[in-house]
Amino acid sequence: MAPNPAPPEPSALTQLISSASASNHPIAATTLQILHNLQYQHLWTSLQTHDIPIPLKSTTDTPPMSLISGIPPHRVYTHPDEQLYMLEKGLRDDDLRPERLFVIPTAQGQSWSVHRIAAVFDSLPEIPSSDHTESSMADVDAETQAKLTEYYTKKEAARATREWGGKRILLAMVDKGMGGDGTVAYYVVHDGEVKPRQN
Amino acid sequence: MDSDPPLPIPISYISNRYLLFSIDAVTYLRREHHICGVLIGTLPQIPQQNVFLGLPLELMPEEARLLVDKGVACIVDEAKAHAGMRSLLEGDRARYLRDLESQGQHAMRLQSDRKEQKREEALKKLDEKKAARARNSPSASAQTESSAAIVDIFNSERSNGNTSRDTSTSTASSRMGITPATSYPPLPPPSSTLHLPPPSVPASYPLFAHLHARGYFLSPGLRFGCNYMAYPGDSLRFHAHFLVVSYDWDEEIDLMDVVAGGRLGTGVKKGFLLGGAEKSKQEVENEADRVDSVRAFSIEWAGM
Repeated sequence: MAPNPAPPEPSALTQLISSASASNHPIAATTLQILHNLQYQHLWTSLQTHDIPIPLKSTTDTPPMSLISGIPPHRVYTHPDEQLYMLEKGLRDDDLRPERLFVIPTAQGQSWSVHRIAAVFDSLPEIPSSDHTESSMADVDAETQAKLTEYYTKKEAARATREWGGKRILLAMVDKGMGGDGTVAYYVVHDGEVKPRQN
Repeated sequence: MDSDPPLPIPISYISNRYLLFSIDAVTYLRREHHICGVLIGTLPQIPQQNVFLGLPLELMPEEARLLVDKGVACIVDEAKAHAGMRSLLEGDRARYLRDLESQGQHAMRLQSDRKEQKREEALKKLDEKKAARARNSPSASAQTESSAAIVDIFNSERSNGNTSRDTSTSTASSRMGITPATSYPPLPPPSSTLHLPPPSVPASYPLFAHLHARGYFLSPGLRFGCNYMAYPGDSLRFHAHFLVVSYDWDEEIDLMDVVAGGRLGTGVKKGFLLGGAEKSKQEVENEADRVDSVRAFSIEWAGM
């Protein structure tokens, strides 16, 4: 008789969750799982979590929400008009400096409402311009540099008029029940009516 | 374009439907107020027809309500409005019938004129051909006879010989039957006492009015399982931008519905838009205040 094999090692994700969030409420585990997914599957960098207070008059027992923010390796979303502008200028995604994007971690079965989504958007900080690193600007030729400057000026103007869309956030969803295989589904959510990318 | 209809446009309320029977009103509302409605009229002989439908135009209660709130239209109980048909003066009735008759005669005259013109052209062409052929082969007299027979098939009136020239005068006396689509020329426009209160609307109305105010054309969303489809311009010229679903402010949203809508929308090159009014019915005096408090969010699959 062979001796009982030792139980398998818990997965890296399980270890991370049990080590970091033992004390916290269940939402913290969801946040960690999505953070892990962003970091190792989608190779995001500079990941942070932000606790945001959501004042909801109807549901007082809701735990505070956590948002994740990070910098994706490639652009997740480009507004169709912005894309057109970039095409006209001959700019590629890789020319632009990376942008910080916010993510709402959610789990299937969690209760959401228009009120809650609105509250998340209202608590969302405007992306500070100082967040950008100037390093990517250094190794490009003068011509591209000029185009980029023009692009950033245009982008700043577009932010005010919202012609390239308003605030946006990535909605991340995990299924924690039966059949939850660790898949995280990502959806881009815009504040207001923003025309779809392909139409 | 043709003349704008007098305002407010009467919307006929018949067995819980809001209908428009005047083509002038339909084109005016579409052009000026971005209200498209749905054409539901079939040919009487082909009631199972389901494409190329015509008048009447059915409006969603939301569309009717929006027009009434704007002061562009009013709701008329059509059954009551037609009670006056019996009390119509005999003189008015006769005059109306005579009017219809003369309209029919006019239409007939136009049609026969056009026919006559076409026939003249065809004859002229034939004569030219005949002349050309006669020049080419003077011996082919038998052929001209047979071609004349063909002409007779296409122009049966010509077989009557010289009488054909004055057919136009004889047909003008017979007239076409005119079926008017609306009954407001004989009847006076419905008085304001017959106007019904503004239509009651579903809970999705504030989002409807919000999107309409932003220039979107909205149509019913049955095809994609949503409340409305939002077009950035006339739906004959543009593809829809959004599948619109309305929620109450604190109504629970199942995240699976967001996935389903977001994925379906992206699959058909549209966005999935959900939204609702912050203020509830109890908090405001009229619907317009609720429309101002609408928040909407568009959702697309991120592709990652």
